Amino acid sequence: MDTATINKTSTLYKMLNQFELGNNISECLTCGACNSRCTWFNGEGGPLPRQIIRMAALGLDEQLVNSNMLWDCLLCNRCTQGCPMGISMDKVVRKARSLAIADDTIPKDIKIGIKNRIELGDVNALTTEEFVETVEWVSEEFVDEVDDPKAEIPHDIKGTKLLYLPNPRELGINLLHLTAMAKLFYATKETWTLSAHHTDVTNWGYFVGKDDIAKKMVLMVVEPAEALGVETLVLSECGHGYHALKYLMEDIIGRKPKFEVVSMPELIVRYAKKGVLKFDPGVHPYKIAYHDPCNIARKSGGYDAPRELLSMVCEGVVELIPNREDGVCCGGGGGILQDSTSKNKRMITGKPKADQMTATGLPNLATACLSCHRQLSELSNHYKLGIKVDTVASLASESLIL
Amino acid sequence: MKKTTPNILILGGGVAGMAAAQTFSDQDVAVHLVERESALGGHAAMWACMATDTCQNCGACLSIEMADQVQKQENVISHLDTIVETINKAKQGYKVILENKETFNVEKIIMATGFSLFNPVQINSLHYDEYKNVITTAELNTILQKETLSGYFNGKPDPKIAFIQCVGSRNREQGKDFCSQVCCKISMRHANKLTHLFPESDITLFYMDLQIIGKEVRPLFKTLSKNIALVQGVPAEILEDTETNMLTIVAEDKETQSRVSKAFDLIVLSVGMQPSPTLETTAGILGLKPNSWGFFNTDQAVLAEDVIIAGCANGPKDILSSKQDGRIAAAKVIEDLGLNTNNKLNIAVFGQGTQADQAAEIISSKGYSTYLFGPGTSLSKDTPVTFLNESNIISISGTAGNFSLYYESGNEKKYLTCAAIIAAFEPEQSLNRLENISNEFLSLDAFSQMIEKKPDTCPDNSVILLDYFGPEFKSFARLALKTSVKAKALGKNISIIMNKTLVHGALGQRLYDTARQQGVDFFRFETREDLKFEDSGNGFLIKLRETTLPSIELSLNCDCLVLPPSLTPAEGFKDAAALLRLPLDREGFLQSANTRHRLTRSSRKGIFFAGTCHDEIDKNDLDNEINDILSALSTESFELPDVDTGVEINQGMCAQCLTCIRVCPHSAIVMNKKNRPQIVANACFSCHLCVSNCPAYAIESKELTNDQIAQKVEKDKMVILACERSAALAAGSLTLPDHITLIPIPCACRISSDVILKALLNGASKVIISGCHEENCRSMEGSNIADASVRQVLSIPGMDASKVAWEPIAANETKKFERIISKARG
Ligand code: SF4
Ligand code: SF4
Ligand code: SF4
Ligand code: SF4
Repeated sequence: MDTATINKTSTLYKMLNQFELGNNISECLTCGACNSRCTWFNGEGGPLPRQIIRMAALGLDEQLVNSNMLWDCLLCNRCTQGCPMGISMDKVVRKARSLAIADDTIPKDIKIGIKNRIELGDVNALTTEEFVETVEWVSEEFVDEVDDPKAEIPHDIKGTKLLYLPNPRELGINLLHLTAMAKLFYATKETWTLSAHHTDVTNWGYFVGKDDIAKKMVLMVVEPAEALGVETLVLSECGHGYHALKYLMEDIIGRKPKFEVVSMPELIVRYAKKGVLKFDPGVHPYKIAYHDPCNIARKSGGYDAPRELLSMVCEGVVELIPNREDGVCCGGGGGILQDSTSKNKRMITGKPKADQMTATGLPNLATACLSCHRQLSELSNHYKLGIKVDTVASLASESLIL
Repeated sequence: MKKTTPNILILGGGVAGMAAAQTFSDQDVAVHLVERESALGGHAAMWACMATDTCQNCGACLSIEMADQVQKQENVISHLDTIVETINKAKQGYKVILENKETFNVEKIIMATGFSLFNPVQINSLHYDEYKNVITTAELNTILQKETLSGYFNGKPDPKIAFIQCVGSRNREQGKDFCSQVCCKISMRHANKLTHLFPESDITLFYMDLQIIGKEVRPLFKTLSKNIALVQGVPAEILEDTETNMLTIVAEDKETQSRVSKAFDLIVLSVGMQPSPTLETTAGILGLKPNSWGFFNTDQAVLAEDVIIAGCANGPKDILSSKQDGRIAAAKVIEDLGLNTNNKLNIAVFGQGTQADQAAEIISSKGYSTYLFGPGTSLSKDTPVTFLNESNIISISGTAGNFSLYYESGNEKKYLTCAAIIAAFEPEQSLNRLENISNEFLSLDAFSQMIEKKPDTCPDNSVILLDYFGPEFKSFARLALKTSVKAKALGKNISIIMNKTLVHGALGQRLYDTARQQGVDFFRFETREDLKFEDSGNGFLIKLRETTLPSIELSLNCDCLVLPPSLTPAEGFKDAAALLRLPLDREGFLQSANTRHRLTRSSRKGIFFAGTCHDEIDKNDLDNEINDILSALSTESFELPDVDTGVEINQGMCAQCLTCIRVCPHSAIVMNKKNRPQIVANACFSCHLCVSNCPAYAIESKELTNDQIAQKVEKDKMVILACERSAALAAGSLTLPDHITLIPIPCACRISSDVILKALLNGASKVIISGCHEENCRSMEGSNIADASVRQVLSIPGMDASKVAWEPIAANETKKFERIISKARG
C-alpha cells in the first residue's frame, strides 16, 4: 500500500484554497456523488473523481500527479455536475496538471503543439505565407463553385463585421469544411474576413492548466481581432475553444473584449431567424442524433443553438440518453484526443458514447465540435456502428439555399 | 363542559396539529382545526408499518389512532377538506375566513402545516420519472401498505435493492444545506423490513453520513449492519441497462480501485423534507416570513405574536418529535391565555447531575413545589427547590397525582407525596483508552474547556477521534464540531477522524460546512482496523486508511489526541427501573422504546423521563423534554376524576392474592386504606389485564366479561378479537364479510385462554386474536400475553391448529387485515 503524509502546505492545496466558496476543495462533503458520474463509466482504468478531490484536499500533490487519473481525466466535468458544494473537477485537475512536478507527465504532442502555437502562432506550425496561399487557393475554388466573383474569401480586412476563427484542421486536412463555412458567411451578406493571426481556435494551454499559457493564447486571438476592429468573432465549431474564448474569456484576460464572441452554429441560427439564411431540410431527409460537446453544453451552457439549427436542416433532432448537462463525453476531451498515442484508451473512454449512439438506432449523428467529430467518427469505425458523423455547421452549409 | 368558546385555530391536521388539538381537548379548551385533506392524519397516516417480528418504533400507526381520537372530541371543531381563505388581524387576535366562507374569530393560531417531500424529477440524472423501478421512500410506503412490492421484482425471490440517501437534502447548490433528519431512520427501517419480507434479497444502502441517533435507531443499526451492505457515498446517477432492464449505478470499487457498475431491480430514493406547498401563502397571510429553506427553524425566520409554529413547519422532524412539538405548542397557548386550571402540585425530580438540576429549576420556576432527590450542585441556593440529597428512596407507591415516596434520609424514614416524578439520572460517563498508547490523551470535555478558558495552551495540532468505540453520541459529535471550529479560529490545525458526521438539528449541516470551509480536516474510517496509533515524542502518529482513499496509508501527526467519553447505563439503572416498576430498553437505559409512551412518558402515568438516562439527547432536546413534561403536568389530569375505567374489583370475591397489583402494567392498582386492592381510575388505562389474570375472577369488566365476549360470538362465524388501538382501527373502514364477527377489545391482554375456549365452545369457526405488534402495546405485554394464550389453547391435545391464531396488525395495516381474513376464509 502507498503511504503518504498529509501536507496542508502543498502547492496544489494552497492554490485550490484560494478559490472562492463553491470551488474550494476543502469543502468537499465526501458525498460520493461524483464517483457515480465519471464519463469513463465502468471502463477499465480512468479516474476515481472523489479520490482526485480528496488527494487535492489533503495536499497529496505527488500522489495525484503520479496517478493515471491526472491525464485520464477528460475535463468533462460530468462527475461534478451534481456536486452539492459546486466543486468543478476541471478546475482541480487543470491546477494539478499545472504543477511544476507534473511537467514531465504532459503528453509529447501537447508539448509540441503548445510550443508551435506560442512560437509560431499555430499548433500545426502553419506560417503566414502558407496561410495566405491556402486561403487564396480555397477562395478561387469557392468563387468557381458559387459562380460569383464577389464571393472571394477575404483575409486580413480591417473593420469587417465578422471575423472567422477556424480550427487548424480547416486550414490543413479539412479544407472542405472551410469552404462550407465560407458559403455560409457569403450568404449572410455581411462583411467578413479571415486573418493570418487567426488560424487557431484551440487553446492547449487550457488542457495543461497553465494559466499564463492559456491567457497568452487567448490574447493571441483577442488583440489582433481588436486591431482589426471587428464586431463579432465567430468561432469554428470547437468545444474547449468555445469554453475558453466565450465562457471563460473575461476570467482569463480580466476584462471584456471589444467584440462579441459567437460560435458558428449560433451565428447561423441568428441569421436564419432574421430570414437571411434559408435552408432546405430536404437535403437531409432524416432525423439526426445530436451529441453535446461537454465544453459547449455542460461547461458553458450552450445547449440550444445546435439543436435549433439541426431542426432547420434535417427532419428533427433525436436526443441521446442522457444528454445536455448529463451528456456523456465523446471520450476525447481534456487533451486526450490531441495525444496521438491515446487511440486505444480513447476507444475505452468512448465506449459509453458508442453504446449511446447505437441505442438511437439512427445512421446519422451531428455534433458542434470538430474534436468530438473526429473522436465520434473513429468510434463509429472502431465499433463498426455504421453511423455517419457530421458537424452541425457543415450540415447547415449543405442545406443552404443560395 | 367547555371552558371557552373556541378561539384558537390549528392549521393542519397532521401529527403536530392533532397532538395540539388533543392537548387542548384534554383541558376542555375548544379549538378549530383546519385540514386541507379530507381526513386527519397527515403524511404519517399514509406510511407503512415497519414492524418485523417486533415494532420498530416509527410511530406511523399512532397517527391513525390520534385521528380517530381527535375526531371524537367535542372540543375539536374539525374543518376538513378546506383551506383558509384569508386571515385578518382583528382588534384582538384574528378574523378567519375559510374557503367555504365560514367565518370566526380566534386569539391564537397554531401553524402546523407540515411538510412536503422533495420531488426527485428535479434531479434529471436520477431518471425518476422515466424508470418505473426508481421510487421514493413515500412510494415505498404506499407499496408496502398495499402489499404490492413483489410486483416490482418479476417474481424474483432474491431482488437486488438499493437505497440512496440525502436526495434533496444536504445540498448547498440546491439551497438545501440542511439534513432532513428522518430519512436515514426511514430508510434503515425500510431496509430492515425488506430483509424481513424478502430474506433472500440483496440490499445496499448508499449513505452520506448515516444518522444513527436515538434509542430506537441504535439497535436497528446493529441488526442492519449484519444484514445489508452499507456503502458510504451517494450515487447521483441511475441508468438502465437496456439488455437486462436492470437499473445500474456506477460506484467506486475498493478492491479493484476502479469504477464498477452495479445492477439493481429496485432503487429507493430517500427524499428529503421541504415545507408544505401552502406554507408560503399561509405565512404571507399571517405576516410571517420563513427562512431561506422555507422553515421557521432558524433566527432568520420572522414570527408573529399570537402565532405558534409546530411540527415540521418548524423544520424536519420525526413523528414522535412532531407529536411532542404539537403538545408543547398547545400548552404554551393554554398558558398564554391563562386557561390552565390545574393545581400546581408537588413534583419529585431524581438525579445527581445538571440535567436533573435543569429540570428541577424549570419546573419550580413554573410554580410547582419541586423536590430534588439529588445534590443540585449546579443550582443556586435560592432556587425554590427542596433539596433531598443523600436520600435513599425505598419505594414508590400510589399513582399519578398521588405518589407516595418512601425514603430514608440519615437514619430517618420519611414519606413524600407528589403528583409526578421525573427521572433524570446520569448515565455512566467513562473515557475509553486506546491500546498500545502510553502518551496522555485528552478528553473532549477537557479539550473544549481548554479552548474556552486557556486558548493559549491549545496545542498546534490536534485530532479528535469519534466513533471509534461505537456510533458517537450526538452531543459529543456536536461538541467536537463546535470545538474544532473554535480551535481553527485560534489558528490551530485540527482534524476530526470519524465514521460519519452527525448533522442533526437545524444548523448541523451548516456547522459542518463552516468547519470544512475554515479548514478543519475530516477523515473517515470504516472499521477500527483502518486506524493505527503510535506514540511519537510527546504526541501521536496516526496511520489511517481513509474511506475515500483506500489505497493509500495516510500518516497524521498530532500533539494532542482528543477522545469523547462513552455513555453507558449507570449501575443504578436496574434498581431505578425496579423502583419505578418500568422496564429498561435493549441497551440498558431507562424507558422502553415503546412508541406509545415515548418520548418522555411511561406506561405508569405521572412518571416521566428526561435526559441521557433514557435517550440520546442534547441540550436542545432536554429543553423540549422538560417543556413536554410541563405540558403534561399542566394539561393532563392528575387529580382523581370520576372516570369510568370499565373495570371493577368485586371485593367480595377478591382472594387478596394481589396478582392484580403485580400484573397491572400501569401500576394502577394499589392497596387502599382498608388493605384491599383498589383500581385508581386516573391511572388505569382500561387494558383489562387484571380481568383476565385474576385467579378468583374477582375483577369484573362492565362490558367485557368472558361471558359477554362469548355471547357476541356467532355460531359458525369467524371471530376476530381486535385491539381497539391497532387491529380494530385497521379494520375501521372495511365492510366485513358476513362470516366474520369483529369484537373490539381494549387490549390484546384482555384475552386469556378462557376467552378463546368459550368462543370456540359457542361455535366460532375460528378465533383470531389481533393486536399491536410486539413492543408497541400500550400496556406493554399485550401482544405477548395474547400470543401465549393462543399457544396455550393450541397445546390442548386434539385442538385443531387452524382454529386459533394470533396476528399482530398495526392500525395502518388495513391490507394485512384484509389478507388475513381472506386467507382464513379460503
Ligand atoms: S471530469 Fe470527466 S473524466 Fe474527469 S473525472 Fe470527471 S467525469 Fe471523469
Ligand atoms: S460530488 Fe462534490 S462534494 Fe461530493 S464527493 Fe464529489 S467533489 Fe466532494
Ligand atoms: S407498530 Fe406502529 S410504531 Fe410499530 S413499526 Fe408499526 S407503524 Fe411503526
Ligand atoms: S443524512 Fe440527513 S438528509 Fe441525509 S438521508 Fe440521513 S437524515 Fe436524510
